Amino acid sequence: MDAAISGNLIDLCVVAMLLLSMLAMTTTRIAQLLNAFAVQSLFLTFLALVVADSTGHTELFILGGITFAVKVIGIPWAMRRISVRLHAGREVDSTMGIPGSLLICTILIIVAYLVTEPLMATLETITRNCLAMSMSVILIGLFMMVTRRKAMAEAVGLLMMENGLFLGVISISYGMPLVVEIGIFFDVLMVSAIIGIFALRISKAFDSIDTSVLRRLKE
Amino acid sequence: MIDLVLSVIQAIMMIALAPLFAGILNKAKARMQHRAGSSIFQPYRDVAKLMRKSENISESSSWLFRFIPYVCFGSMLLLSLMTPFFSAYVAAPYGDLISMVYIFTLYRFMMVLGGLEGGSVFGGMGGSREMMMSVLIEPSLLLSLMALAGLTGGSTMIGDIPRELIGMGAIVLTPALVLAASSFFITLLAENSRVPFDNPATHLELTMVHEGMLIEYSGRGLGLMDLSSMMRLMIFSSMFCTMFFPWGIALTASPSAVLIGLASILIKVLLVTLAIALIESYLAKYRLFRLPNLLTASFALSLLAMISLYIL
Repeated sequence: MDAAISGNLIDLCVVAMLLLSMLAMTTTRIAQLLNAFAVQSLFLTFLALVVADSTGHTELFILGGITFAVKVIGIPWAMRRISVRLHAGREVDSTMGIPGSLLICTILIIVAYLVTEPLMATLETITRNCLAMSMSVILIGLFMMVTRRKAMAEAVGLLMMENGLFLGVISISYGMPLVVEIGIFFDVLMVSAIIGIFALRISKAFDSIDTSVLRRLKE
Repeated sequence: MIDLVLSVIQAIMMIALAPLFAGILNKAKARMQHRAGSSIFQPYRDVAKLMRKSENISESSSWLFRFIPYVCFGSMLLLSLMTPFFSAYVAAPYGDLISMVYIFTLYRFMMVLGGLEGGSVFGGMGGSREMMMSVLIEPSLLLSLMALAGLTGGSTMIGDIPRELIGMGAIVLTPALVLAASSFFITLLAENSRVPFDNPATHLELTMVHEGMLIEYSGRGLGLMDLSSMMRLMIFSSMFCTMFFPWGIALTASPSAVLIGLASILIKVLLVTLAIALIESYLAKYRLFRLPNLLTASFALSLLAMISLYIL
């Protein structure tokens, strides 16, 4: 593939991931939130494949395949089942209005750019531009965990942060050793399983998965 | 000389075709909703009939009320000379993107004044809603056009942008272009008071925005206002087609280039029209207080387009 075109494809994938993070900030439905996460992971898969193709790092093909299986299909499917079992309602409310949180997201992107700019100048990978975007995806995921009130939405925020981390790793060094990556995927799977169990327990104990209820005393 | 002739011809074509595309939009919408719909030439007949009718003017209005339709129509005439249609030559070479945005703002301001002048409650409500939206539309419109100018090397001259974009080849498909185009499309819907922002089919409803401001107009004034709002849609869609996706536009004055340019722009504008019809059939009008969400999203998109010019 032509270097300029693969560079363009990488840029488009990264921006799509960032946009989906922002879309996840604006949604008020749990199903849309999970779709946004699945599509974001799909773009991450595609990005890994393009990078693998244009740099010859073949283990990224494997990682792309695992990302597709785990994050595009596995986790969203499992979370959807949990949310059906919880009967927790379709809404995921936020402590902040949508326009305000979008503006904070753009500020976070600018901060991420300012922080990573000196580092990006020293890198020599073709994906070095992605570092600022990966930092922004991480920060937006964190912001989502802070502002959202339902346990499920916080879990999606955590998973999006993990997507951002994977993106950052690709952009700095074309991925970590395969063993480490597989370990991380296992971690993610465990995290989503634990969150699922936690959410079930929380809803059983408090009749809601609203985490702000947890602060109240209960006998 | 030939470029001046071409640009005048394309301005006249845009004016002449604006009601046709409005008619196609209505027809496409009707077919998608399983209605027969009126003929695609109906807007021509409506405007012609309104032009012949006498005006009935509110007693509480002043001279400004009669004056406003001409200002609105005049500003759209000026913009049609400034917008490229099938060729990249434009008759008003001193106008650039920034002046274009503010001529649109002038149009909107005059329309709001007209709504207030009539002295009816609907006019005032429509005007206040329009101004609320205007505050949010203007920055995102400006930023998306600025991002486009930044992408092509800093020139805000309208005639240069299609030329530069085509000259860049496949590299031009950067995130900045895609983001700016999607932000511009949202502002296109907002600025032309289409569904989710306003319902163009309604003429007597508490929620109307654009039609509320026109409610006191009749006869020739209403005809001119209708014609200029159709022209505004036409100008916006040809801006979208020639500046963000300029491929096919005639860069030289040779007959073959002009023919290709004409065919490609007609197909592109038709596609945009059908897309608007699809959106209008698929979505319901949003509540007024949900509009800032969508407009902030458009602002965030254009800001992101601007930032991505520096990051990527």
